[in-house]
Amino acid sequence: METLLKPSLYATDGTLQGGRCTCGHVFFPMQGHGCEVCGRHGADLQPMVLKGRGKLLSSTIVHLHIDKARTAPFTIGKIALADGPVVRTLLVDPTREIEPGTAMVTALVPAGAGENGQTILDLRFTPET
Amino acid sequence: MARTLKDLRPVYVVGVGWHRYQNPSETPYVTLGVTAIRDALADAHMDWPAVESAYVATALLGMASGRPMLRHLGATGVPLSHIENASASGSTAFRQACIEVASGLTDVSLAVGVDKRNPVRRDSTGMDNLAEDAIAQFTHFSLLTNEYAQRHKVSFEDIARVAVKNHRNGAKNKNAQRQQERTLEEVLGGKKVAGSLTALQCTPVGEGAAAAIVASEDGIKRLGLDTSRAIRVIGSTARSERVYAAGLGFDAVLTKETTTIALQEAQVSPQELDIIELHDAFTVEELHYIENIGICPEGQGVHLLKEGALDIGGRCAVNPSGGLIAMGHPIGPTGIGQIGEIALQLRGEAGARQHPKARTGLAHMVGVGAVCYVHLLQRP
Repeated sequence: METLLKPSLYATDGTLQGGRCTCGHVFFPMQGHGCEVCGRHGADLQPMVLKGRGKLLSSTIVHLHIDKARTAPFTIGKIALADGPVVRTLLVDPTREIEPGTAMVTALVPAGAGENGQTILDLRFTPET
Repeated sequence: MARTLKDLRPVYVVGVGWHRYQNPSETPYVTLGVTAIRDALADAHMDWPAVESAYVATALLGMASGRPMLRHLGATGVPLSHIENASASGSTAFRQACIEVASGLTDVSLAVGVDKRNPVRRDSTGMDNLAEDAIAQFTHFSLLTNEYAQRHKVSFEDIARVAVKNHRNGAKNKNAQRQQERTLEEVLGGKKVAGSLTALQCTPVGEGAAAAIVASEDGIKRLGLDTSRAIRVIGSTARSERVYAAGLGFDAVLTKETTTIALQEAQVSPQELDIIELHDAFTVEELHYIENIGICPEGQGVHLLKEGALDIGGRCAVNPSGGLIAMGHPIGPTGIGQIGEIALQLRGEAGARQHPKARTGLAHMVGVGAVCYVHLLQRP
């Protein structure tokens, strides 16, 4: 049995839970506080499923990290999603930086076990093969 | 129509002071703060009762830390405000003090920054994120370092030369947290934190205090202050982040927006700047910011650095104090300490760090959020 670590942010098919304003601005994650571009809120902000693909802008290996829950080394990538927003998160491969411009896709990887022994999956990015 | 600082009453920096920036210690923040204020009062040759309002910049001390500090100067009953604006807290307090004097509400105001290295607390916005807990500040700037190196075809070694220069400057500054010259080999050889970034290319967050006293011409006259040591604040501009195109570095774009307005309002060109104190928490930032301030075209910063144009005695001394990398970055004090360094430089009182014939200086801070503050100072 598998569950998602952050089901409010992504789905089991690797898509991301973003949003779109009637002004056209696409954002991630979905939120109802208000549009960062025009300030519209409420019904003007609608959920939008964002494709789990994009282009790598940069990546870096983290050698030291203060939070013991995150064991270094790991790799952080900055990805411009095909739908617009730029996100930063972990890459699947913790050991190498990736060439900017590389096409990236999401992948769900095991990130621990839940109370009932089920695998908890978290979203990462990895080069498209 | 809204007016600029230059349209209001002239404002002058008349006193600057510090408690040395240092590694975390048992010293109470009250000691740090009153030391810096007394240093600034002595520098101005004035007594505390002459100060008509006080702005206390602190990001990490918690609620209402100012009065337990200021009362030990003699509780004169001055209006007291606390300013928290992340790394730009000190710059913001300074701006408020300048605005108050320029408006005519006071003749003499104080901005003091003080901080201890306490944990940063930021409440939830109600929005989750993918893995922000995994992205420390140095990781954010390591990403930008990799982008800069790739885009402009420059080496990590050359970017690290920013730290060599700033450690060299800091070694001559008695108020700097780090006062040791470092070779390029030492800078590159230290422990890596993320990507190519080594510890000596990152600011050491510590503790300390800085104070600046600003006054109007009436105040200077009434108190009999030395007009030849008064440095005019000819510009103060503040902005916060907008929505930028995907992939643009927001700190750099925001710096450009803010500086462009500041230089235009003060009618100063980037080439007229003799001194720049900027937010070099990480080496790559100095290159981003000098380029976006307009000292050179994008991607050319490394060339200036290598030919010594950014050294004390060069075309424009950048971070003669040692900058955040060597002087340190205790958060609340940092932006005020920049003003202090520029005032010393423009008066010709910077000793071993003196940049020849310095007339005009720019102080730049960015703060998480992001916000950007730019001040322009000029020797009359």
